[in-house]
Amino acid sequence: MSISPRGLGLPPAALEAKARRLRRHVIRMVAPLGEGYAGQGLGCADILAALYFHEMAYRPDELDWTERDQFILSPAHYGVGLFAALAESGCMPMELMEEYGRDGSPMEIIASERLPGVEATCGSLGMGLSVALGKALALRRRRLPSRVYVVIGDGELQEGQTWEAAMAVASFKLANVCAFIDVNNMQVDGRTDSVIDMGDIAAKWRAFGWNTLSIDGNSIPQILGALHEARQETTRPTAIVATTVPGHGVSFLAGTYSHFLKLPPEAAERALAELGA
Amino acid sequence: MSTSAPRALPGITIAKSAPIWRQGTPLKMKAYGQALVALAQRNPDVVCLGADLTGPTETDMFRDRIPERFFNFGVAEANVMCAASGMAREGDIPFVNTFSVFATRRSLDQVALQIAYPNVNVKLVGFMPGLTSPGGPTHQAIDDVAIMRALPNMIVVEPADGDQVADLVEAIAEHRGPVYMRIKRGELPLCIPAGTPRARLGKLQPITSGADGTILASGVMVALALEAADDLRVAGLDVGVVNAHTVKPLDRDGVLAIARTGKPLLVAENHSVIGGLGAAVAEVISEAGIALPFGRLGVRDVFSEGGTAQYLFQKYGLSTAAIRAAFEGLLPH
Repeated sequence: MSISPRGLGLPPAALEAKARRLRRHVIRMVAPLGEGYAGQGLGCADILAALYFHEMAYRPDELDWTERDQFILSPAHYGVGLFAALAESGCMPMELMEEYGRDGSPMEIIASERLPGVEATCGSLGMGLSVALGKALALRRRRLPSRVYVVIGDGELQEGQTWEAAMAVASFKLANVCAFIDVNNMQVDGRTDSVIDMGDIAAKWRAFGWNTLSIDGNSIPQILGALHEARQETTRPTAIVATTVPGHGVSFLAGTYSHFLKLPPEAAERALAELGA
Repeated sequence: MSTSAPRALPGITIAKSAPIWRQGTPLKMKAYGQALVALAQRNPDVVCLGADLTGPTETDMFRDRIPERFFNFGVAEANVMCAASGMAREGDIPFVNTFSVFATRRSLDQVALQIAYPNVNVKLVGFMPGLTSPGGPTHQAIDDVAIMRALPNMIVVEPADGDQVADLVEAIAEHRGPVYMRIKRGELPLCIPAGTPRARLGKLQPITSGADGTILASGVMVALALEAADDLRVAGLDVGVVNAHTVKPLDRDGVLAIARTGKPLLVAENHSVIGGLGAAVAEVISEAGIALPFGRLGVRDVFSEGGTAQYLFQKYGLSTAAIRAAFEGLLPH
């Protein structure tokens, strides 16, 4: 018998609607600033929708619930996407999104744990999987059912620490760790494969001893399928190599490879209209 | 108490190092390894983390007695620091054991962002500080106190005496938050006389008092400062020795009480004179506007080299004779 998700388990159509709502939140948060990490926020919306509304167990009114599943966003500049998920899931008030990037607010552009619900401050790249490793070890030692989910950026794979962590998570046989590698082929200096060509990313994770799956990271059914497989794995961590398109979900932004996207007011309005706002 | 010589690791030849303190100084072996096991036996949240330096960090005892709470992360210091943060966030009290250089320089960004910034309950234990390492610049932490002192939330301690190790291990475990403890590996002198009030975190520990001035020292320099004070006494000078086992937070009131005597004050540390204990004391005194004969003894802004501790302490000005000469240099001519 297969192991079911501990989370809300919304069906695919409802998750797709949630992902659209997350994308609207992302546009609304970035719009007042005129530019920002909108491409990344839109690109990872499907993964976040699947995690927060299907897969993960958590309590919006008790964020430090011991038995919660945990999510770590290693590329913390995707924070706008995480904030959208936290707001939509009731883990933070909706109106807090209006403070995104404002002085004095915990809604920092590089997500920090000043905001409850952010499990660790990972803006310095390469650290997220290592923090997840420590959490997973402690959770296993305490025999808790919690799983630890991580999103890792593809540019971040260039940090050696990512591979220190990959090696250790596999060596400790932490089947309670599931990492999404968000392969959006974008980093500050351009296309990831033109800066440092990492070749076959899935082969690398496989070689490091991970149960490795390759999917379209903007396809809810494929994300759910991968999460299901990850849940059945009992001896190895799972790496889901998820190819995503920056800006996915908004026709004229999709495939715009800009680390810090310009989003003038008219573009934001068009985007919101497309997203059904 | 044991006075047996440290065993060399299999396959590794370590230059036989003559002790830096005088012959006949009573020694205690592997005080940290014993103290950590004792702590963990009482506190089930204590976990022991390492990075392929189990024997050299005295944690082989922990590994053998409490294997279910011993985690070796291999040669990967960045990873172990962040993993420790993750474990602490779930309620563990991780003691991360490596060499001082690797706990500070090597993994600074990880320590700063995953341990100091979130103020998590991780204890970093760095072995072979300063010139107690025979390994040259790769293994000699002459800047670790400066680095760790600059991190918000981080406490910095260093035991001076074999029996003090257990007291400090207890104290830092009781403190909820990040701590960096630098400690010489292997044998430590038993130099603090019985009857001296026990170390209290954040307070100076006066060992002797002196009408003619004070030597304020940390770590292995305390034993050498006591030797220097003995020599000065023979020369007719009454010099007190104070142990600064807590470099951060520095005992401001304690420092000012010494400074207000107006007598010469020498700070001695097994560290660069930049950014360490001497600098911290100078900051407190100068901000208080107190004038007194003051000196810092430490590594004078140079990298050292591989060699025995006895050789290096003499060459780089950390020896008992150097402490005595530095103190005499503060006296009115």
